[in-house]
Amino acid sequence: MTSSADTHCPYCALQCAMTLTSPTGPAPAAQPGPVPVALSTAPGVPLDVQGREFPTNRGGLCRKGWTSASLLNHPGRINEPLLRGPDGIHRPIGWDQALDLAATAVRDARARYGADAVGVFGGGGLTNEKAYMLGKFARLALGTSRIDYNGRFCMSSAAAAGMRAFGVDRGLPFPVEALDSAATILMLGSNVAETMPPFVQHLKGARDAGGLVVVDPRRSATAAFTADGGGLHLQPLPGTDLALLLGISHVVIHENLVDTAYIEERTSGYGAVVRSVNAFWPERVQTITGVPAELIRETARRLAAGAREGGSYILTGRGVEQHVDGTDTATAAINLSLLLGLPGSAHSGYGTLTGQGNGQGGREHGQKADQLPGYRKITDPAARAHVAGVWGVPEELIPGPGLPAVQLLKSLGKDDGVRCLFVHASNIVVASPDATAVIEGLRSLDFLVVCDFFMSETAAEADLILPVLQWAEEDGTLTNLEGRVLRRRPALTPPPGARSELWIMARLAERLGAPSTYSEDPETVFNELRRASAGGLADYSGIDYAILDRGEAAHWPFPAGGTGTPRLFRDRFAHPDGKAVLTPVVPGRRRASSGALPAAGTAAEARPFTLITGRLLEHYQSGSQTRRVAELLAARPEARLQIHPAAAAAMDITDGAPVSVANERGEVVCRAELSTAIRAETVFLPFHFPELESANRLTEASTDPISGMPEFKSNKVWVRPVAVAPAGTVLQTMEAS
Amino acid sequence: MSEQIVIVGFGPVAARLVDELLPAVRAGHASLTVVGQETEAAYNRVLVADLGVGRTTADALVLSDAGALAADGVDVRLGTRVRRVDRARQQVLLSEGPPVPYDRLVFATGSRPVIPNLTGINPDPASPVLPAGVTALRDLRDADILRKAVDGGKRVVVLGGGVLGLETALAAAEEGATVTVVHNGPHPLGRSIDRGGGAVLAAGLRRCGVRMAGNARSTGVEHNAPDGGFSALLLDDGSAIDGDLLVISCGVRPRTELAEGCGLSTAAGILVDHRLRAHHEPHIFAIGDCAEVRCPDPGCAVCRTASGPSGLVGPGWRQAEWLAEYLALLAAGAVEEADLLPDLQAEQPGVIVLKARGLTLAVAGDNGADPWDEEALTAGAVNGRPRLQVAQWADPEHGRYVKMTTRGGVLEGLVAVGMPRTAAELVGLFERRAELPADRSLLLRLDGPDQLPGSAAADPAGTVCRCAGVSGTAIRGAVEDGCSTVTEVSKATRAGTGCGGCHEDIRGLIEQHFSPAVP
Repeated sequence: MTSSADTHCPYCALQCAMTLTSPTGPAPAAQPGPVPVALSTAPGVPLDVQGREFPTNRGGLCRKGWTSASLLNHPGRINEPLLRGPDGIHRPIGWDQALDLAATAVRDARARYGADAVGVFGGGGLTNEKAYMLGKFARLALGTSRIDYNGRFCMSSAAAAGMRAFGVDRGLPFPVEALDSAATILMLGSNVAETMPPFVQHLKGARDAGGLVVVDPRRSATAAFTADGGGLHLQPLPGTDLALLLGISHVVIHENLVDTAYIEERTSGYGAVVRSVNAFWPERVQTITGVPAELIRETARRLAAGAREGGSYILTGRGVEQHVDGTDTATAAINLSLLLGLPGSAHSGYGTLTGQGNGQGGREHGQKADQLPGYRKITDPAARAHVAGVWGVPEELIPGPGLPAVQLLKSLGKDDGVRCLFVHASNIVVASPDATAVIEGLRSLDFLVVCDFFMSETAAEADLILPVLQWAEEDGTLTNLEGRVLRRRPALTPPPGARSELWIMARLAERLGAPSTYSEDPETVFNELRRASAGGLADYSGIDYAILDRGEAAHWPFPAGGTGTPRLFRDRFAHPDGKAVLTPVVPGRRRASSGALPAAGTAAEARPFTLITGRLLEHYQSGSQTRRVAELLAARPEARLQIHPAAAAAMDITDGAPVSVANERGEVVCRAELSTAIRAETVFLPFHFPELESANRLTEASTDPISGMPEFKSNKVWVRPVAVAPAGTVLQTMEAS
Repeated sequence: MSEQIVIVGFGPVAARLVDELLPAVRAGHASLTVVGQETEAAYNRVLVADLGVGRTTADALVLSDAGALAADGVDVRLGTRVRRVDRARQQVLLSEGPPVPYDRLVFATGSRPVIPNLTGINPDPASPVLPAGVTALRDLRDADILRKAVDGGKRVVVLGGGVLGLETALAAAEEGATVTVVHNGPHPLGRSIDRGGGAVLAAGLRRCGVRMAGNARSTGVEHNAPDGGFSALLLDDGSAIDGDLLVISCGVRPRTELAEGCGLSTAAGILVDHRLRAHHEPHIFAIGDCAEVRCPDPGCAVCRTASGPSGLVGPGWRQAEWLAEYLALLAAGAVEEADLLPDLQAEQPGVIVLKARGLTLAVAGDNGADPWDEEALTAGAVNGRPRLQVAQWADPEHGRYVKMTTRGGVLEGLVAVGMPRTAAELVGLFERRAELPADRSLLLRLDGPDQLPGSAAADPAGTVCRCAGVSGTAIRGAVEDGCSTVTEVSKATRAGTGCGGCHEDIRGLIEQHFSPAVP
C-alpha cells in the first residue's frame, strides 16, 4: 500500500512542487536498463521525493529538496516537550505540564512588567495559517504589541520600497515563467544558482539573448552565467549598489531612453528623480563603484532595448537589500524600472526575489510589528475596526505597533523590554546580526519558549522546548515568491509527541482565558484569514482549499467572487491616484563607520576587509535542518572564508588554512577558501553555521531607518592566519562517505 | 528667530547646499536666499559638453527646481547679480531690488574660464566678450553654439589639452564634427600624465578621429568667416589652423572679485579655514571652485596638504554637505554641537577619469617617476619612509598603458589608458588608499579575456550538475552502468534535475562513452 501526496519543498520561496511517496508498497518490477538507484530513500528514510511538474520548478529540485525527507525520522528529532532543569539539562515532560508552565510564565511576566514584557518572534517558514494565528495569538491571547519575525532580516527593505513606490508589496508582481521570454534581466544581489537553483531555468531566454546582467561583488555561480555571451557581470564594491543604480538611471535619462508616455500617464515624481540622478554620471559612478563606465552605459541600453522588444526585468535580492540603505537601494532599482516603463507592462517588470519558504505569505498576515492581516497597517483605524470585527473583539483590545526584529531582540531582558519570549520557526542565535549580543539577551530572559523539531542553537537556550510538525506532516498553505497561494499536504502521520503550532496556540489561549477563537484546524483558520484579509492589499477572500486542490493558479489579490491576479499593475498601481511614485534617493553621506578600528588586542598582522555574508547551495538559513542531512553536511561540512589569493598571499594564508576573522563584536575561526571569484578587499562567509563559525558574530545590528533591516553585507573585519585551530573549536573535518 | 542665510551663486555646489539646508528651512530654523546670475536654476555644468554634442538634453541637466524651492520657502533670485557685499551692515546689494541682510553668507561663485591672451579677443579677464565663433563652453548658451557646429558637421578647433578639452573634442568628433586639439607640450594632459601615458593617449585620440596639434603656441584668432566670425587659430610658428568654431578650454579661475571687493583674503581662491570660514570673518563662508581651503595658521595639520581649488565638482559637493550640516546646527541654536562637528576630511588629490565613449583613461596623483629613475624613486624616502616603486605596462600598438606608482604598496600615482577594468580598480585603490597586491600584474589581467567569468574548467572529476552536486565521475559511472539517455542519467544520479542547465554536458559525456575511442 503506497500513499502519496502532492506538496511543495520545505525550503525556499520558489516552493518547488514535489510528490512524496511512502515506499512501503511492492517493489517495482524488474525492468530493462539501469537499475533505479533509491537515492532519496536511503535506509530508514520514510518517503520518496520526486520533483513534480509546476510552472516554477518544471519538475526540477535542488540537492536540498531531493534530500529533504531524510529529516523526517532523523534521530535528533524532538518528540516530546523538554524542560530545562536547574542543571541546564533538558528533560521530557508531558504536554499538560508544558502548556501550564508556558501559561504561568506569560501571566507572571505580564503581572510583573506589563503585557509588552511578553514577546513573540515568528518566522517566514510558517504556513499562512500559522503566521496569521501567531499575530492574532500575540495580540489577543498574550495582549502584547511585541511581535516581529525573521523576515525583517530578509524582505523588509524591498517590501518597504515596493509599498512606497507601488502601494503594495508582492515580491514578483508577475508569474515566474514570464521571465522566460525576456530579452534582458538585470539581477542585483541575488545568487539564484545557489539559493534557488531550479529558478535558473527561467533565465535561459535572457542568456541566449545575451541579456543577463548580474550585479554582484563576487563572481557568483549566477554571475558566471553571464560568460560566453550570456550577458554582463558588474562587480561593484560592496555597499555601492545604490550609486550604481543611480548611474544606470542617469544614462537612461541622458540618452533619452526614458518611456516618457508611461512616465506621464502612470507615475509621479519624475522631475525630482531627474535632478537627483544628475550627479551620477557614469565616470563618477565608476569611481565610486569600481564598475567601468562603459558597462554602466551598456546595461542601461540593454534594459531599454529589452523594454522595447522582448521584455526587460529588474530583480533585486538580499545582496542589495540587506544594508542600512537597503530600502533606498531597492527604491533606486524601482525608479530605474519606472523610468523604462517596466512595471505593469505586459512583458516587463520589477520584482524582488523572496527568500524563505513562506516569506511572502509570512509578511502579509500580521506577524509584523506594524501590521494586521491582509497587509493592513495596524495604525489604520479602518483596518483595526475590520480585523476586530472578524475576531469578534472590541477594537481597543488590539495593541498598537510593536518593535521591529532587531530592536525587539535588543530589548530582551532589559527594563521595559521583553522578559518572556516565544520563538517560532526561527533560529535567531545563528541568524540574527550581532549574534553574541542576541545570545546574551536570550540568557537574560525570565522564560524562553522555543517551538522547533530539532535542538537548534536557539532551542538549546530555551527553558521550554515544544516539539512541532515538519512540512510533510501538516496541512496548510504557503504563498510563493510570485504571490501564488499553494497547498502543503501531509504524506505522513506525525510522531505521537509532536503538535502543530495551531494546536499549541489554541491550548495556550484557552489557559490564558483569551478572547476570540483559536482553531487548530488549518482549513478553518484559512477561512478566518480570508475574512480578515478581505478588502486588504493582500486579499485572499476568494481563495479556498477547494480551488487550490483543483490546481488553480491563485495569485493574490483574489477577492471573493473575483479571480486571481497573476500580473499586478496592468491598469493601475495601488496608490489612491493609481500612479506609481518615484522617490529620489541618494547614497548617505557618511556610512556607519563602526567597526573601522580593530578590536582591542587585534594582532598586528591582521588586515582589514569588508565582509559579505551569504548562502551556499547545500544549506538553508541557519542550517538547523540542512546541517542534519548527511549528504549536505558531507558536501559542505563547515564555514569557509572566501578570500582572494592575492590578499591571502600577503598574509601567508593558504587554501584550507585556519584563519581568524574578527572585529569588536566577535570572532570567527574557520578555514580559508582561496578564490579569484571575490574582490581582493572583500571576504565572504556563509551564515549557515553556528558557534565559532557563526558569521553573525561579526555583523552589526545597525538597521535601515525605514524598514528596520540590518546591515549584513558590508561589515568591517580583520583577518589573520592562526597557526592551529584554537583548542575547543569545532573545525569539522570532512569524511568521505 | 530664524537665521538668514544668503548664498551667492547658483551652480551645482550651491544647489547641493540648498538641498541639504531644506530641512532647516522647512523647520523654520533658517530662511534662505540664493542669488544666481544665470536665468536658469542650477544645472549640471559637468555635462555641458555632452549637451553641446547632442548627447543629452537641457531638461536632463536640471539640478534644482526653482518653483519647488520657492514652494518650500526659499527665496530664489535668478538672473540677478550681486553688486557688492556690505560686511559692516551684513547685507548683500543686488543688481535690482533692496539689499538682502544676512546672518551667514556663503560664496559659491564658482569659477570662470581662463581666456588666453590672443590677438582678436578682448583681454579683459573679468568680463571677456568673445567674438562670434569662439566659445569657452561654460553654460547652456555655449552648449547651443557647439551644438550648431556639430550638427552642421563643421570644423571645431579645441584650444587646450586638458581633460575638458579632450572630452569635448572626442564627443564632437564622434558626433560628426572635424576636430583639432591644439595644446602645449608634447602630449595632452600636461603634467598630470607621464610621457608614455601621454603618447598612448594622443595615439588613442587620433584613432578616434581627433587631429592633434602638439607643441603649439597660439597667438591669435582670425575672423574671416562670412559672418565675420572665427575662421582660424594662428600659431607662433606662423601657421594657422582653420576652423568654424574655436572652443577655448584652458582651465578655470576662481571667481573671487566679489570677495576681494569686500576685503576678504584671497589667493587663488577665497581663503577659508578647514571649516570653510573666510579668514577672520565668522559670518562668511566659501565652498566649491571659488574657495581655497588654507587656514591662516600655517601650522594647521589639516591644511598641510591643501592644494588650492581643484576645479572638480566632487570636493565642492562634499563641502556643501558638510557646511549644510554645520549651518543647520548653528541655525537650530546648537552651537556646541556645531563646534563638535568633525572636520571635513581632507581631499585626496583629484582623480581624472575621461568621460568618453571610445577611449578610457584614468589618471591620478604624481606620475613623474620612471621605474629606473633612482633619484626620483628615493626622493623623500627618509626616516624609514619607503621609497617609491613604479610598475609599468606599455602596449602602444593596442592602445594600452598602465603605470602604478606606489609607496609602501599604496598608490601615489596612476595612469591607465585603454584598460577600463584596470582603471576602475586602480582608481578605487587610490581613493581608499588600499594596498595593491604584491603581484601587480593581477591588476592588468582584469582586462584580459581569461578574467571574464568562464565556463567551468574541464576537470573530469569536477561538478557537472551544481544543483544536485553530481560529479562527472558519477555521471560516467552511471553511463558505464548502462544509462544511455539524459533522462536515465538523471534518474540514476539526480544530475540535471535542478535547473537543467547541464543537460548538454551530460549528453556529451554519454556520447563520449559510446563514441569509438580515438587512437
